[in-house]
This record gives sequence, structure tokens and C-alpha cells, in this order.
Amino acid sequence: MASKKGKALQKANTEILRRTLSLMVVCGILAFIVLGVHLYKIQVRDHDYYEERAIEQQLRETTINASRGTIYDRNMKILAMSASVETVFISPVELKMYNEDPEFISRGLSEIIGVDYDSLMKKWEDTRSWYKTVAVKLEKEVADKVRAFKNDNNLKSVHLEVDTKRYYPYSSLASHIIGFVGTDNTGLYGIEAGYEDYLKGTSGRIIRATTSNGTDMLYTKFENYIDAKNGNNAILTIDANIQYYLEKHLQQAIDDYAIRSGGMGIVMNVKTGEILGMATLGNFDLNNYQEISDEAKQQLEGLTGDDYLKGLAQAQISQWRNRPISDTYEPGSTFKIFTLAAALEEGLVNDNSTFFCGGAIDVIGRDTPIHCWKHGGHGSQNLSESVQHSCNVAFVNIGLKVGAETFYEYMEALGFFDKTEIDLIGEGSSLWWDRQLFTNPKNLSQLAAASFGQTFNITPLQLITAVSAVANDGKLMRPYVVSKVVDDDGNVIMANEPKVVRQVISEVTSKKVCEILETVVDGGASTGRNAYVAGYRIGGKTATSEKVGQGMADDYIVSFVGIAPTDDPELAVLVLLDSPDPSTGIYVSGGIMAAPAVGKIFADALPYLGVKTVYKDEELATINVTVPNVKNMGVEEAKAELQKDKNFTVRVVGNGDTVTDQVPAGNVTVSKGTEVIIYAGETKPTVMVTVPSLYGKTYVQAKSALEAAGLYIRTAGVAASTTSDTIVVSDQSIAQGNEVAYGTVVEVTLFESDTSLMETRG
Amino acid sequence: MARYEDFYEKTLDDEARGRAEENSRDKSGTRGAMDMPMLILTLLLLGIGLIMVLSASFARAYFETGDPTRIFVRQALFSVAGIAFMLLISRFNMNLIRRFSMPFLLVSLLLLAAVPVIGTDSGGATRWIDLGFTTFQPSEIMKLAIILAFASMACKYKGKMKTFRYGVLPFAGILGVTVVLLMLEPHISAAIIIIAIGAVMMFIGGTKLQWFVLVGVVVGIAAFLVLTKFDYAATRITIWRDPFSDPQGDGFQIIQSLYAIGSGGLLGVGLGQSRQKYLYLPEEHNDYIFSIVCEELGFIGAMLILILFAMLIIRGFWLAMHARDRYSTMVTAGLTALLFLQVFLNVAVVTNLIPCTGISLPFFSYGGTALLIQLAEMGIILSVSRDIKIKKAG
Repeated sequence: MASKKGKALQKANTEILRRTLSLMVVCGILAFIVLGVHLYKIQVRDHDYYEERAIEQQLRETTINASRGTIYDRNMKILAMSASVETVFISPVELKMYNEDPEFISRGLSEIIGVDYDSLMKKWEDTRSWYKTVAVKLEKEVADKVRAFKNDNNLKSVHLEVDTKRYYPYSSLASHIIGFVGTDNTGLYGIEAGYEDYLKGTSGRIIRATTSNGTDMLYTKFENYIDAKNGNNAILTIDANIQYYLEKHLQQAIDDYAIRSGGMGIVMNVKTGEILGMATLGNFDLNNYQEISDEAKQQLEGLTGDDYLKGLAQAQISQWRNRPISDTYEPGSTFKIFTLAAALEEGLVNDNSTFFCGGAIDVIGRDTPIHCWKHGGHGSQNLSESVQHSCNVAFVNIGLKVGAETFYEYMEALGFFDKTEIDLIGEGSSLWWDRQLFTNPKNLSQLAAASFGQTFNITPLQLITAVSAVANDGKLMRPYVVSKVVDDDGNVIMANEPKVVRQVISEVTSKKVCEILETVVDGGASTGRNAYVAGYRIGGKTATSEKVGQGMADDYIVSFVGIAPTDDPELAVLVLLDSPDPSTGIYVSGGIMAAPAVGKIFADALPYLGVKTVYKDEELATINVTVPNVKNMGVEEAKAELQKDKNFTVRVVGNGDTVTDQVPAGNVTVSKGTEVIIYAGETKPTVMVTVPSLYGKTYVQAKSALEAAGLYIRTAGVAASTTSDTIVVSDQSIAQGNEVAYGTVVEVTLFESDTSLMETRG
Repeated sequence: MARYEDFYEKTLDDEARGRAEENSRDKSGTRGAMDMPMLILTLLLLGIGLIMVLSASFARAYFETGDPTRIFVRQALFSVAGIAFMLLISRFNMNLIRRFSMPFLLVSLLLLAAVPVIGTDSGGATRWIDLGFTTFQPSEIMKLAIILAFASMACKYKGKMKTFRYGVLPFAGILGVTVVLLMLEPHISAAIIIIAIGAVMMFIGGTKLQWFVLVGVVVGIAAFLVLTKFDYAATRITIWRDPFSDPQGDGFQIIQSLYAIGSGGLLGVGLGQSRQKYLYLPEEHNDYIFSIVCEELGFIGAMLILILFAMLIIRGFWLAMHARDRYSTMVTAGLTALLFLQVFLNVAVVTNLIPCTGISLPFFSYGGTALLIQLAEMGIILSVSRDIKIKKAG
């Protein structure tokens, strides 16, 4: 028994040791090998995978906005600038975390900023959000109030963030050139978009490792600070003053002639290709670029929902369109400049060439003859007269002389088939016949029509660029609007130098064309007389183009392109007026509507640019001069002073030795040749006189009418030659019937009344 | 003396009795020194654990209470108390402990039964009893009670352990009652550990292997049914297989744990340099402290700590095999197995080797009473080691 029991116990004894030993092996060795292998997989094999994700959640990136560069005009006037503003946002997560009162905060913020209380209360409902925008682009004044509200109440869930806002000091001036930025400060249109990469700068970043609450870790500082780099500044070729003249006179023309679809204009430096001004009217306020014009608003009236939004978007897109570079049109008669230039360059015409216009001409490939705009015909004309008359028949003849192949090559050389590559976005492409069709010897109708600027489409920019090439000794320049990009320290980052694309015609031809174009403005019976500015040599060409294929009868784009001074051209000005309303009764033509605008622009811009005046003899008699102040001088001395430059005649009233008064007063501008009355001891009359009606009177008639009333005359800035009988007063600075002081100066605007000269649609 | 002899006659096998008699004779009633490797490993792990509690907890302690050392100081105080407690217990004679085995089980069961009535609720489960200055989980004591009681029972039934009536039934009965009480809380992870430790005790005690196979099959089928029929369990399995299926919800904690472990790499981000502890990883100083260990100390550091645990476990089983009597062997093996289970399950959970369940890491995880009980258990093993003669000779 004992041994049996002992054996069993012995067995149990070894069993417990065996089982414990097996546990030791399993628990102490095998299990740990399993854990070790598993840990190895996570920590070593998949390390990168987990680390990347862990870092992703641990790092917070804060952007430091870069300040956007400034846009200047050529004289460093600020056209666009950035200023610091602030964004206010709230954090529903922190509201909960710090147990703050949403109603109190919402009430406070809505009072300070003016945002809707209910919509604010709704924002708190997104309880997982750290960032809910309350208001963007707040000015410092309002932002400071929010900051005070936050600090006074020790609010942890209200935050302010610095941002920048774009300001355009000149509002609508050059709006299409400058363009604008969206709410994220990215350029959307114009220079703002085209030069985005230069202007935007590089935003900086702060990368921090944070706790899951977004606060800093303790003792474990990881912060990487990358500085923001401010954007560079663009200096434009645009001159704010010239831009202003351009827009002012365009607007005047739009108002005067009931222009229905807006006006466009470009002022270009002929020698360099720099754009000094470029405008599309109606324009818009860059500071409020989404606001559409009142007319556009009227059209949207009655629309709701999607229709309204669609209409609004369309109105916005069309008001933002930089039409002189984006739109194409059929240029019409201004294009005759190039037919003329090609023919002269090829030696096919000269001053002795004559062209007969019987009112129509047959062309190979056409069933019906091509009519001149003057159906009765111009009869026999020399080359200059053909241009002055803008005779279509003559130009068909010239075009046919040049021949399709050569003509086509000139068009190509003048850049009509390519974009000008101006540094603005949205340049349109021209529309032309292809070479084979154009040069088909069996059908010359395309060549014939192209000779006077029809059956193709180009952009206004292409036209003025090519006109400038013709005026610039034949050198085609690449147009540009940004002269250079500089950083804040003035280092030049990028500069656009004047670039000659190619020589198109010779200097001699260029001079000849300019000479002929001058006769269009200054000739006896020419179409461009309204562009004349006394003292300046201006050349140009009118055009009245049909808006082909646009379904409206009697609908035209009237235009005028001018160059000045013609002996050494510096400026080219193109004005287009889209769709004058014929119901005004004014004859619709470029010579009547667009030429005066170009003349006025020249009248403002040429003196501003310091272009020397050279008056003709008959102009010298009537130019405006300033009366010197001779009060208190001795009578003889005063007489000498007034007669020094042979500007005035003098009449002395009274017997005194010194001048006690004078009429007109000193420093007043009047026409040359005015009689100045000096009072020696006597007092000048204080009577009031009535202003007579001057409308329709010639300069001489107007002058005597005023003198009879004891008043003085002065001509307005734009003054056509004052000797012709057809040049009469169209406007006077003081309306008839007004009572004014004796000796007051009345300014008269003169204008070519013989519109038959300009009634051309060729 | 008669009673002492009688006690041995009934329970100890000849060899063990002989050894014990020899031992007590030789030393004239004084006991030997405790096992130094066991003590040193324990203190080493406790020290490292304490440092890691400081590192892992200071971020949350700072952000939530303003005092970055708040958790560390508390754990340190419990550590000091725990060491004293461990040394005190190591002086207890195993016979004394053995005599209180069954009463201790009874008290533990009563406490466990009381939990649903007087316990404090936390996160949908009632597991704690609030003692005013601290809280404790009766389930922690229950684990120790099962080990002591099962060892005592196995020694009592030593010859009949191969029978169903003695070798299975009483053990299964006690486990059944315990598990039912735990499910009332509910506390699944404690139930799993208690079943496992009960099985280990029966295994060492000599229960026939066929029962383990049988129970294993039954548990397997039950587990399969639970996992497929109950959404709660099925969700856990889904998350286990692909934590990224719900990265902001149920998968969040394990993903954050994996981020911490994975970003540690081979050498770690450096002691104190964990980034995941900055409120990303929940329970970073508690059940998931090992993830922070992995992040800061890397694969090398984590493995060194695991090797220390392995050495402690091997030493525990070694002491069990050399214990002076059957009861000491079983208690030591049981306590070592318990330590192993907690370490293994904790590391397996935080590394997503097994589905998520709440088990703390001995000597590392923050928790005062749990630490006290763990050190008390170490004290019992050390007490056993003092009676080992071979240690002295060798």
C-alpha cells in the first residue's frame, strides 16, 4: 500500500514539475517571442507608415499671409495696394471647453460687426469645429472693437486673424487693366491675374507640434518658422492722367452721341509700344467689382433664383471684359492706312497717282460691283484725296495693284494674324481668310473688301499696334502695360523693354503715310477734321464699320485712329464707339463721333507730355494767351508789358500815371489779339452785361458779338482752325442770357459744321 | 508539535516534508534570505515603471489639473508603501498563508458579491469599492484568492486530482460563482484572467488534461457564438481586424496606440519626448503606458523591458519548481502565471495582437491598490524563496 501510494505521489511530484516547467517555457520564452516579433513588425517594419500619420496629426500649420505687391502707374501713383485687415472667427470646440456663453458672444459680435445674430448662433452648433468664420476683411477700427470685447470678457472662443485687403485708390480708373483679386487675394482679372506670380508673394508658415487641443507641448518644443516674402510691385506703362483723359472723353462721346454698347480706347506710345491708357466704358469700381451698372440691374429686374444669378454672372463677366484686347471687330476704313502703306512701300502709287471713282467697281469673282460709300462717286482724285475722302473704289484699285499675295504678306508682317502678345490676359484672336482662299486669282473679292477693311475681324489692339508700326518708321513694337516689376527695396525683378518685332515698311514710306494721314485731319475737305488741335500736327483715319452678322440694321462701330505729331509720331490714339443710337439725328460716322474724342484726348495729352506746339500763322492770331497783371504799374510800363509779345492791343482810360485797374483781369486766359483796357485813375465799370448767343457763329462773329457786349473770347482746348466759315461755335462756357460782370471771358468750343465732309461709311 | 506533524502527514509528500524538516532543523527555526534575482528584477521593473508613469502622465496631469507631477507622486507613494508591504509579507510563513487560504477566498467572494450593491459606478461598469482615500477592485484580490485557495485545495486532493469529483468539480464550482459575480459588474477582462488562472492552477495541480481539451472545445464554440451573435463583441472583432474602419470612434484608441508604438522606431524618440501622450492617446499612463514606453524607448527599450519581465517570470517558475512544498510550488507558479497573463494580455492589447480589453501592465500602469496587491503577490513569492534550501547550497 505504502509503496503504491508512494509511487503515485512520486508520479504527482514529477508531474507538477513537468507541468510547471512547460508553463515556464510557454510563458517565459515562447509568449515573449510572439510579442517581440509583433513589436518588431510595428516598430521597425512599419515604422515609417505610423510615424508619418502620427506626425500628420501632431503638426499644426499656421499660414502667415504675404503682403501683396503694389501696382503703380508710370509716375508711381498707386493704382492698387494692400492693407492689413482682420478676420474674426469663433471656435465652438473652445466654447464648450471653456464653458462660455454663446448667446452673450453672439449678441456682442453682432452689435460690433453687424452680422446676423441668428446665423451666428447657428455657427456654434457645429460643436466639433475649431474654426467658423464670422466676418472677413474687417478694418482695423472694427477689429479693435472685437479685440476689446474679447479681452474685456476674457473670451477664449473668439479669435482674430490678420489678412490683407486690396484697395484701389482710383476706383474705376483703368479698371480693366488693373483687374482685381478674389476674397482669397488671388488675382482674377487684369494685371492682378496676369502678374499674379510676381504680386502674390510667398506666404510663410509656422509648423508646430501641438497637443491634440492645438496648444503647445510641454518641454517638447518643435517649431519651424518660414518667413513670408512680400509680393513684388508692378510699375505700369499706364499714365493715370492720360488714362483719365481717355476715359473722360470717351464718356463724353458716349453721352453726346447716345452710344448704346459702350466705348473703347487705347493710347499707345508709338516708339516703344507702351500702353499709356486703355479703357473700356462702362467700367466698374475695382473696390466693389461685383456691383453691376444700373442699366444691367434694370435688365435683371423681375428675374429670380437661378435666372437672376445667371443673368448677374453674365452682366459681371461682360462688364469685366477688357474689350480693346479681347473683342474683335471689322475695322473698316481705318484699315486703308495699311493698304496705302503697302502700295507706297511697293512703289505702286505716288503723289501723282490718280484714282477715278464712279461710285462702284467690278471685281473678278463678284457678281455685283463693290459700291463706294458715296454712291455718286468721288470722281477723279489724287492719292491724298482718296485717303481724305476715304474712297472705297480708290482703295479697291490700290489693293488690286498690290495683289493678293503681297497684300497678305503685309497683313502678316503687320501682325494681324498673330496675337500681339501684350502682357495682359484674355487677348483675342483675329479672324482671317486663309492664304489659299485669299490669294485665289479667280476670286479677288476678298482682297477687294480687305483693301478697305472689311470681311475679317481684328482686335482694336492689333489695329493700333499696326498703325503705330506704320508711324514708327515701320517698326512693329510689341505692346506692353507693365514696364517693370520691382521688389520692396527697388531691385528690378523683371523689366519689359521696348521690343521691335520686325520692320514692316521703310522709314520713307512711314513718313509719307504720316504726311497723307495729316491731310485727313488738316486737309480742306477731309473726313478727320474734328480731330484737329491747333498747334499740333495730327494725322488719322476715320472708320464707320458695320457690325456684321449681329443682326441689327443700321448698327455701327464708329472709330478714329490718330497719330501725333506727324513729323515725329509719339502718340497713337484709337477710339471706338459701339453702336451709336441713330435716333439722335446725328449722322453716324467716325469723323463726326470718334474724331472729336481723339482730338480732345490729344489736346489734353500732348501738352501734358510736353509736346511742343507749332502754330500756323492763322492760328497764331487766335491762340489763347494769359493777360499779365499790370495793376499798380506805371501806364507806360504797363503798355510795354502788354505789347511785349504782340499779344494784346491796349486802350488807356483816364489820365493818371499808374494803372488802377484793368480789364480783363490779370492772369486770365483770352484769345490772342484781345484789347486790354487799362484804367489810369478811373474805375472800371461795375455794370452787369448779358451773354449773347454764340451758337453757329464763326470765331470772328463770336468775337465781335462778345466785344459788343463788353465781354472777351477764348477758345476751348480743342480748337479747329478758326478761319474756315464752316467751323463754328458748338458750345459756350456761359450760357446765353446769363448776367455776368463786364469784362468776363467766355470760352467757346469750335467745331466743323460741314458734316458732309465726314459723312462717310467707307 | 503534534499538530504540526499531523498537518504535514496529511498534506505534504514525503520528499517535501523531508526537505521542510531538514530545513527547519538546520536553521533552527530561522528562515533563509529571500531570492535576490527575484527581488532585484521586481525593484528594477518597479523603478522603470515609475519613471514611465512620470513621463507618460505629466502632459495630461498638467493640462487637466495644472500639476504635471500629480499622478507620479501618488504612484511613487504607493510604490514605497508597496515595497514595505512586499517585504512584510515576505516574512510571513507559507503555512500561515496557507491556513488563511480558504477564509480569504470566502472574504473575497463576499466583497465581490458586495460590489454591485455598494460599488461605485464608472463608465457603465461597477467594479470599484471606494475606501475614501482610494478605490480598489475586489476582482484584483479575487485573483490572489483563487490562486491561494486552488493551491490549498489541490494539495488537499492531491491523490484524487485525476478524478472529476475532486479534480474538476470544486474548482469549476468556485470559478463559476466568481465569473457570475464578475459578469454582474460586468468585468470581462477580469473574468478571462480568473478563468485562465484557475485553469493554470488546475493544470499544475494535476487535473487530467482531457478536461482542458474538453473545456477548450466548449469555450471555443461559446466564443464563436458570442462573437457572431452579439454586436458588441462583433464590433470589437471588426475594430481589431481593421482599426481604421472607425478612426474617430471605436478604432481611435488603438490607432493612437499604434501611432505611438510605430513612431518609436528602433531607438525611440527619447525618454520624455513622446508626442502621442499630449492628449492624443487616451489612458496613456494607465492601460496604454506600454505604448508610450515603445514610443520613447523604441523597439530596443521595449524589448529590454519585456526581457526583464520574461526573466522575472522564468525566475518565478524556477522558484516554483524549487519550492519546499507542493503548496508553495502551486502558489508561486500561480502568481507567476498571473503576472505573465497580465503582461502578455496588456502588451498584446496595446499592440493590437488581440482585441481590445482593459488590462493594466504590472508595475507600470498607474493604480495604487493594484500596485499594492501586485507587490504583495511578489512578497508571497519572496516568502517562498526564503524556504528554498538548494538556493543556499548552490
